[in-house]
Amino acid sequence: MSTADIRRVPLADDTWGHALTMALRAVGVVLVALVIVQSLIVVEARPQDLITGIHGMADIIRRATPPDFSKIDTALWPALETVDIAIFGTLAGVMMAVPLAVLAATNVTPSRALYYVARGIIGFARAVPDLVWALLFVTAVGLGPFPGGLALAVHSIGMLGRLFAETIEHMDMAPVDALALTGARRVQIFTHGIVPSILPSLLGISLYRLDENIRSSLVLGFVGAGGIGFQLLTAMNLFQYREVSLLLIVIFVIVLTVERGSAALRARLA
Amino acid sequence: MLEIQSLSLRYPNGKLALSNFNVSVNPGELVIVLGGNGSGKTTLLRCIARILMPTSGEIRVNGIDLSQLNGERLRCARLQLAMISQHGSLVKRRSVLANVATGALGRCADWWTTLGGLPKHELEAARGCLSEVGLSHLAAQRAGTLSGGQAQRVAIARGLMQRPRVLLADEPVASLDPEASHDIMRLLRRLAAEENLAILCVLHQVELAYAYADRVVGIRDGGVAFDLPRAEVSKDAVRRLYLSEAA
Repeated sequence: MSTADIRRVPLADDTWGHALTMALRAVGVVLVALVIVQSLIVVEARPQDLITGIHGMADIIRRATPPDFSKIDTALWPALETVDIAIFGTLAGVMMAVPLAVLAATNVTPSRALYYVARGIIGFARAVPDLVWALLFVTAVGLGPFPGGLALAVHSIGMLGRLFAETIEHMDMAPVDALALTGARRVQIFTHGIVPSILPSLLGISLYRLDENIRSSLVLGFVGAGGIGFQLLTAMNLFQYREVSLLLIVIFVIVLTVERGSAALRARLA
Repeated sequence: MLEIQSLSLRYPNGKLALSNFNVSVNPGELVIVLGGNGSGKTTLLRCIARILMPTSGEIRVNGIDLSQLNGERLRCARLQLAMISQHGSLVKRRSVLANVATGALGRCADWWTTLGGLPKHELEAARGCLSEVGLSHLAAQRAGTLSGGQAQRVAIARGLMQRPRVLLADEPVASLDPEASHDIMRLLRRLAAEENLAILCVLHQVELAYAYADRVVGIRDGGVAFDLPRAEVSKDAVRRLYLSEAA
């Protein structure tokens, strides 16, 4: 076969391959366009309402300014409650997620059956939104910050359990094997080999989760699970827009402070 | 001290990795195993350490057959046998001293050790082991900051903390420069003599085998090609080990 022959054969194949690729791309573009259009229809998107509603929005902004700083003292306790719900939820979530993650990591799980059980629990905890968990816990233990903390804890188990398990699965196993060969027991291998290797990643993930939980705890109050969200909902229902704007400023400060603090700590751990 | 008799290992896919392998290492002796890639060198060490389960044969350490042990009895028997691997396998975020001290975990069953602590007397002993490998000045340093040669020395010190009778070394000088390689081999030579350790070391560097081994074992296709004192190993015999790999 000459050089020209060698070139000609793939070129013919390439032409068909190219045409097929283009056709598949066109089908892909049409599908994406269809998905976008159906979503616009389903949500009844009417951009013109934004323009006609501008007067209503301007009215709300006018009624919300200036923020009512005289009520700052009443906002402080719910603000602290919001942060504490997130701290409690994160800590409890971490404590429950760590053992589950060990069982759910393929490289260290003691048995296949436990692996599936742990993965099942983690998946279920993650699949149910934290707001739904909050509704369930409010029904179970009553109104207040405790059901909020429980809701965040359970949802965090799902998110943290999965990330912790992935961290364990991606760790370097050579030091763990080396410890096993020294005659160390299983628990010792975990505390002396696995924990020191993954601790910085675990702390980083937990701090990120705290950051997320702070945001989540803000809205848990809407379903009676404590925190500043409950006060925000009450102020809105009573058309106290100046108090609403004050609470939004407090929320902004909390979120920004925790976000910056968490980012700085994670950077130190990296 | 270490006696391997008729050791065989067949993988589930049917491949015979070790075939009727026999070797013994006496206290104070440094035996070096040479062989091409895929000849079964590392498999041999992993079988002896019981990371892999042999299909048949005996692995006797101080008279106890490891091949038949499981669970707690295997863990206890393993205390007599330390293994160092190619890259040291240290916990990088812990200090050098803590890494060395973890070699004692097998004989510590208290709560403090279980929770991640290390007993004071074992930390003192670890200082002694570090000084034996010439790295006591690095005790507080994080293991992740060490050079390859230093990490390998720390791994040897961790092995010594076990107070083993047998030391297995799987290519301990792989990826080290020639000077560091000679340092490690000199250290193994000295430990064999002074600590009366039986050392079985897998190497790729033929010149190091000629320089430091008491005996050299050639391995080909999972079997013993030769087992001779260093002075009697011909260059032809060694060349044949690697020729079979090229073919």
